[in-house]
Amino acid sequence: MKTTVAFIFGCRSVEHEVSIISAVQAMRSVNREKYDIVPIYVTKNGEMYTSEKMFEIESFRDMKALIADSEPVTLIKKGKDVVLKYLNNKMFSKKKDVVLNVAFPVVHGTNCEDGTLQGYLEFLGLPYVGCDVLSSAVGMDKAVFKYVMKAADLPVLDCICFYAREYAKNKNEIIEKAEKEIGYPMIVKPVNLGSSVGITKAADKNALIDAIDLAVSFSDKVLIEHAVSAIREINCSVVGDADSCEASVLEEPFMNDEILSYEDKYMSNSKSSGSKGMASLSRKIPADISEEKSTEIRELAKKVFKALGAAGVVRIDFIIDTDTNKVYVNEINTIPGSLSFYLWEATKLPYSELLDKLISLAFRRNRNRENLTFTIDTNILSGVSFGAKGAKGSKI
Amino acid sequence: MFLPIIAMAVAVVSGFLGLIRQYQMLQQNSYFASRYFGWLKGNAPLLPLILKGFIVILALLAALLGESTLKESLTLFVAVALYFGWRAAALNGESIKKLVYTARIKRMLAFSVVLLLVLGILGIVFKGIVSVVLLTVLVLLSLFPELLCFISLFALKPCEKMIANHYINDAKKILSSVYGIKVIGITGSFGKTSTKYILSRILSEKFNVLHTPESFNTPMGVVRTIRESLRADTEIFVCEMGAKNVGDIKEICDIVHPDFGLITSVGAQHLETFKSIDNVFKTKFELYDAVKAKSGTVFANGDNKIITENAAEDVILYSSSAGTNYFAENITSGRNGANFDLVLNGERVSVSTKLLGRHNILNIIGAAAVAYSLGVSPEDIAFAVSRLTPTEHRLELKGSLNGSLLIDDAYNANPEGCLEAVNVLNSFDGMKKVIITPGLVELGDKEFECNKALGEAAAKVCDKIIFVGKKRSEPLVLGAKEAGFNADNMYIAASFKEAMEIYTSFCDENTVVLLENDLPDNYLK
Repeated sequence: MKTTVAFIFGCRSVEHEVSIISAVQAMRSVNREKYDIVPIYVTKNGEMYTSEKMFEIESFRDMKALIADSEPVTLIKKGKDVVLKYLNNKMFSKKKDVVLNVAFPVVHGTNCEDGTLQGYLEFLGLPYVGCDVLSSAVGMDKAVFKYVMKAADLPVLDCICFYAREYAKNKNEIIEKAEKEIGYPMIVKPVNLGSSVGITKAADKNALIDAIDLAVSFSDKVLIEHAVSAIREINCSVVGDADSCEASVLEEPFMNDEILSYEDKYMSNSKSSGSKGMASLSRKIPADISEEKSTEIRELAKKVFKALGAAGVVRIDFIIDTDTNKVYVNEINTIPGSLSFYLWEATKLPYSELLDKLISLAFRRNRNRENLTFTIDTNILSGVSFGAKGAKGSKI
Repeated sequence: MFLPIIAMAVAVVSGFLGLIRQYQMLQQNSYFASRYFGWLKGNAPLLPLILKGFIVILALLAALLGESTLKESLTLFVAVALYFGWRAAALNGESIKKLVYTARIKRMLAFSVVLLLVLGILGIVFKGIVSVVLLTVLVLLSLFPELLCFISLFALKPCEKMIANHYINDAKKILSSVYGIKVIGITGSFGKTSTKYILSRILSEKFNVLHTPESFNTPMGVVRTIRESLRADTEIFVCEMGAKNVGDIKEICDIVHPDFGLITSVGAQHLETFKSIDNVFKTKFELYDAVKAKSGTVFANGDNKIITENAAEDVILYSSSAGTNYFAENITSGRNGANFDLVLNGERVSVSTKLLGRHNILNIIGAAAVAYSLGVSPEDIAFAVSRLTPTEHRLELKGSLNGSLLIDDAYNANPEGCLEAVNVLNSFDGMKKVIITPGLVELGDKEFECNKALGEAAAKVCDKIIFVGKKRSEPLVLGAKEAGFNADNMYIAASFKEAMEIYTSFCDENTVVLLENDLPDNYLK
């Protein structure tokens, strides 16, 4: 009897394919002596499938064939357990429903990483790896994330934020406001997408209008912040929970364009060596910065982690304004590409041990919750009645 | 022909009904024939017994007259059985702890019904002496389901043994298949259940823990816990082990093979079965042998003399004060409960807990010692300890009138426990100390002495004393006076309501009151 871990990946998100790469990498690195793995691939329609073939990245090249070869499944609650149920199970079939002990979401982007999947697992009562609903949701919305950071006195770039319909109505006012409060060059971002999708830099008014047009096609809510001209981007991963966490060594990703685009992040090396996800992006580890700055950023990363109430493994992206040498928190990835394993390997934590630690953290959160009081053992309904006969009971 | 068939049906039904009550009592005596027999001896009502005996004699007489007479009068006899059966089944229905229809009870019921049916059918089919014997036995069994109860118990013993062995092997298989699981055995004459809860809570800071629920501390209780609740992700199984006879602990150890052992105490419990304290010690230390066989570690209570004098050198002792590697220091009590320094193998952490009393602190130390050796950090231990909650009305610390503090020990009715409660009261340094108690009851010959001792102890600790009940409190008053307590500070209240009125007149934020051996809720509302 091994602990059964359900890896959930794919999902209705623009980063669907990246998630597959991250998940396959993770599943192949788990200590199989200790854990049994159930891959649960969620299609772009939101259907769930499982198959032994999902351990091979090649299987995903021909998606139709893979689906035809996989079993449609769903998660249901059965007594105290959450089980993987085979939907097409015929009588006398050999496929037996599997009791799951813990879920491992390896999903990126909206409709999954943003607390959606976490809420589903929470509702089922299945312990899961990583951030909870609130921290996932806040981490996904770049604007709300900034507000939380500001409230915790952590350094972020000022921004303005508006909705697509607001913009359609008051286009000129918003652009004027941006020019006045932020000033060129600006960066325009949809608030809720990961992996730099839909993000553009604008040096003048025309570019700004184009940039906003692109951003609103991805999200109803857009934010604009000042583009730091002399910039270094530094990333740091954090592992743990609110009680104790550690920061990894730092990385500095190299940019082809002025900002790290989606192509940079996931496509740059894909033609030659096959998709390796974030792990293959050209970068420098550890980042070439002073010991002092490195310590500052790592401490800052832990503060961000705690302020958000994050858990599991996250990657926090920082910006250094090289003119002022000031560090800003840029954004958080609550489920980072490749789970940032390359940063932890550089921090002397092998991938299988990182995964082991993440699963332990999931159980730990679950136990902490079980140790709290959720139900009170008096039934208020016992004394209540509704109708005219209810003279004896109290009324609501 | 028709009549005997009805009679047989009635006999089966009445046997069945009568058995419900008998099985209820057998179940409550843990399926021990001897204990069940003891209950029978103490509880069999005389009149029905005579009546039933009379019916059996009538049946025998009818049998003497011949097979046909017996068959014809059979209905009459079993009708009487039906009446008693119905009465007995009603008794089960009225009791608080009814018969639980477990698989074993169902098997025994089925066996008994089949036995009655076979007797009846063969009795009708056969002729002559065979029929007479069979039908007489049928009458006898339906009238005395006690006999049926014994017969089914013994007849199914081998079968039950086989089933139990199957379950035991299944549990062993499950336990050995869980990757990396560690088993901790806890035993002791007292304190093992509370320690089990404390240990599980502390360990849950770091591990997925399963513990045997409530007092599931027999081999089958442990087996059931493993089969029903052990999960693939369980990392530690905390197993309480109870014993009434030599070999009981070994039996459980042979199932779970503990990696760690915790022995909370060796004392004079169950001496009627153990015969000697030495046997109690030997039995508790069967856990030591099992753990050592796996080269594990055993922890034991270093406050307990029998343990310190007899335990092997490699047993790791813990104690409520310095002298071992795991102990507590600087114990104080205050508004937030007990505070003390926990010293764990040289590491010191300050803890605070709502659990009061030396026995509780000792249990915490024992649990902390085991958790520490399993890698739970002192900080995590301190946090878990701060979250422990006391059992209701057992040295439970609460806010009370005028901002004063209440130690609710209303459920405590044993003399040693009461004196310990007074000690707890004494540990509230710098506060005005008050006791409200009606004294102890139902202690027979010892009652007067115990209450006098309680009065004395209270006199040494308290600033004010309120005894409840003029007549009941006479020995308490005597004890307090002999200890030289100023009579001006002693009140005798007629009721708890009055006691609380007296208390309200002088209590303030700096007052702590110990409420001993009665319920506070009735009048605090």
